Amino acid sequence: MIRTFAKSFVLVSLAATTAFAAPTNAELKIGISQEFESLNPIIMSMSASAYMYRMVGRSLVNLTPEGKWVPQLAKEIPSIEKGTAKIIEEGGKKKITATWEIIDAAKWGDGKPVICQDFITSRTIATSNNVTVGEKEQWTQVEKIVIDPKNPKKCTFTYEKAKWDFYQLAQFFPLPTHIEEAVFKKYGSQKEGYEKNSNYVRNSTNPGLYNGPYVISEVRLGSHVSFAPNPNFYGKQPEIKKIIVKLIPNTGTMEANLRSGTIDMISTLGMDFDQALAFDKKAKAEKLPFDVHFVPSVTYEHIDLNLDNEILKDVKVRQALLLSINREDLVKALFEGKQEVAAHNVSPKDPWYTVDPKVVTSYRYSKRQAGKLLDEAGWKMGADGVRAKDGKKLVLQFQTTAGNKTRELVQVYLQNQWKQSGIEVAIKNEPARVFFGDTMTKRKFGAMALFAWVSSPENSPRSTLSTAAIPSSKNGYSGQNFMGWSNKTVDSNLDALDVEFSAVKREANVHNILKEYTNEVPVLPLYYRSDISVTPKNLKNYKMSGHQFYETNNVENWTLN
Amino acid sequence: MTAYITRRIIQTLIVIVILSYVCFYLMSLMPGDPVDMMVASNPKITAEDVIRLKQLYGLDQPTYKRYYSWVSSIAQGDLGYSRTYRIPVEELMGPRLWNTFLLSFISLGVSILIAVPLGIISALRPGSKTDYVVNFFSFAGISIPSFWLAIVLIILFAVKFPILPAGGTQTIGSDGLGFFSSLGDRAIYLILPVASLAIQQIGRFSRFTRSAMLEALRNDFIRTAKAKGLDRQVVIWKHAFRNALIPLITILALSFSGLFSGAILTETVFAYQGVGKLVYDSIIANDYNVAMISFVISVSMVLLMNLIADLAYGFVDPRISYK
Repeated sequence: MIRTFAKSFVLVSLAATTAFAAPTNAELKIGISQEFESLNPIIMSMSASAYMYRMVGRSLVNLTPEGKWVPQLAKEIPSIEKGTAKIIEEGGKKKITATWEIIDAAKWGDGKPVICQDFITSRTIATSNNVTVGEKEQWTQVEKIVIDPKNPKKCTFTYEKAKWDFYQLAQFFPLPTHIEEAVFKKYGSQKEGYEKNSNYVRNSTNPGLYNGPYVISEVRLGSHVSFAPNPNFYGKQPEIKKIIVKLIPNTGTMEANLRSGTIDMISTLGMDFDQALAFDKKAKAEKLPFDVHFVPSVTYEHIDLNLDNEILKDVKVRQALLLSINREDLVKALFEGKQEVAAHNVSPKDPWYTVDPKVVTSYRYSKRQAGKLLDEAGWKMGADGVRAKDGKKLVLQFQTTAGNKTRELVQVYLQNQWKQSGIEVAIKNEPARVFFGDTMTKRKFGAMALFAWVSSPENSPRSTLSTAAIPSSKNGYSGQNFMGWSNKTVDSNLDALDVEFSAVKREANVHNILKEYTNEVPVLPLYYRSDISVTPKNLKNYKMSGHQFYETNNVENWTLN
Repeated sequence: MTAYITRRIIQTLIVIVILSYVCFYLMSLMPGDPVDMMVASNPKITAEDVIRLKQLYGLDQPTYKRYYSWVSSIAQGDLGYSRTYRIPVEELMGPRLWNTFLLSFISLGVSILIAVPLGIISALRPGSKTDYVVNFFSFAGISIPSFWLAIVLIILFAVKFPILPAGGTQTIGSDGLGFFSSLGDRAIYLILPVASLAIQQIGRFSRFTRSAMLEALRNDFIRTAKAKGLDRQVVIWKHAFRNALIPLITILALSFSGLFSGAILTETVFAYQGVGKLVYDSIIANDYNVAMISFVISVSMVLLMNLIADLAYGFVDPRISYK
């Protein structure tokens, strides 16, 4: 009996030690905590789907982790300087034509070549009124695609507007015409008919649907997706022979799954920041074979101020709000300095970023200066420690997404700091669904709303800063200028930015906008978030991007040696 | 009896239709429709996109028209399309309903098999050491939060002593295995979630059984049966337990009605591919078609199990008749 028990104990202990066996190139299991949908590139909208799709599908161009646009399926990026793109005038409107040529080796997983017709197919399907593509503009921006009669891989795109960023087609994915065209012809006239019957739904393991380094070998929605190397990939054959992306919806159990060997790494879409901080310490203390990565991202955590609020209409109050909070201390106390204080809405990863005092007004923590501004604005300190003006107390409502632990901690931290300046803050949080689906989109928030914007380098802030983007019933609540900020200088610079082909002048446009943004303080910048992931120590050539074009764009270079 | 069953089935159908409309209407009252959610997450969606999408989803129509359209599709066998997962609802829900059924049915079965004997033993020896021990563990089972218990089980059996998987439904790629290997594989993945659910249910059911048995054992006919010199086993099982069954049937029927509803916490913690989290996410994301189907299944199960319970009362207690 004792012998049997001892034997079992040894076996179990051995099993315990093998749980940390380093993964090899034979298989890599990645944990994610976000749900994913079917991987049809023109319809998918979830981050987890985009993360996975980059392993199996490539587009004409891509943005590198360094923030540089590089060709992917295209031989080169067309440009006006090289003469491969031209500004033309048609019907009194300025347009652009650009010649794209797909690399010769680019093939679908079934060996059929990727051709220009595949881009026409995706554009045709995406612009159909029966297909539920959210944002049509990314497809309609290309008005016409004309294929070179001598070369099916060469074509001319005509863009409906002459915009400088015409080549940024990272989400203009091709669809395999030889597979998907028949489905669209058969079901395209029915409402949602194409997406219900697309091969990405009905036959998702068909290798002909994919042109990336991997093809999908198994899909279980709500559980996992398995990937196998694509022998027809135009680039380097991937080193890792099998990748499994496994959904672990509870972030609290992510670490247990990693430690038990159920997964080998945690993706960018896997862990909460506080959990990553704790795990980083444990990994170092216990010498676990994992690296925890914290990479600055373009995600901008901030507080939108509702400029319809009578108190917040006064710029001095807005500036005082920013001066009253010690953001340096906040990131040290809550994030151990692993997230950077934000100066404005442009992140340090963006070539447009600047903290030049000639351009940007900075607001270093100064309770004294904040008090002075509030005094000037007529808000005098009361006996109860709360400022008041004309008998009305300085009370502001502060909202964010309920249940988001990090944001709720930040809220309490800031509430305490504002209290010291005589500003009372009433917290009223809501579930994310109500907060984003109603309160923000319909501008129902009382005064302050804490949330984040995810962007990409050199992205026009038109949708969040232009007057036309102030959500209202007239525009179907479609803009994201939730503050209701209207500034003529900003509007004119935004218009100029879109059509400015000189990089230097574009930077000047953005800096003009930043000047207004930091002077008028329609938003309180807090910090730029960091992306987090956990990888096995033996994973090489893994590089996180910090923007929405995930590290899986580089998956063929990953190796576990 | 047949007339009674027919009447109840008709009543059940009417209740399902009425409740489904109420639920559909309540969902439409929730702030933010699917297009509002899309707008909030994609700054590039234009006013034209909003109008187009609302028309496509039928969100520009009044609730009753949308409900009629949904019911018409169901009547034609089309359960609709999940706008979150971008696949037809039947394909999304079918395997998950089966997984949830397996998890709930096995845990319920295990709970009943353990809890009912424990409750009876406890009731037969009230105030004894056995009774105290059973009561202690029953209260412990009821009191432990399920998510906490689930995490403890994972840490113990998947991390400290890695003898069971931390989560999932089956080993990835195990589909090609033979029937028995697949069955064994599924069983291994069910151990921890079933244990996590069953420990709570055992506590609850053993308390109900104990109290129902104690109540039954206090009846005059039990004393009479004992006085008649009937065998102790006959007194316990034929007279006392049969009478204790009526409250138990009610509790069990209600428990069985939740077989397809899912155990959201357990499924989430164990990354088990069931309907619990799917239903929650579909409500949060305003994925009407998924949420409504799961609602109809839940309501139907409650009504069906209540009907079965009502019929079972008659078999257990001959004094009950159906008119």
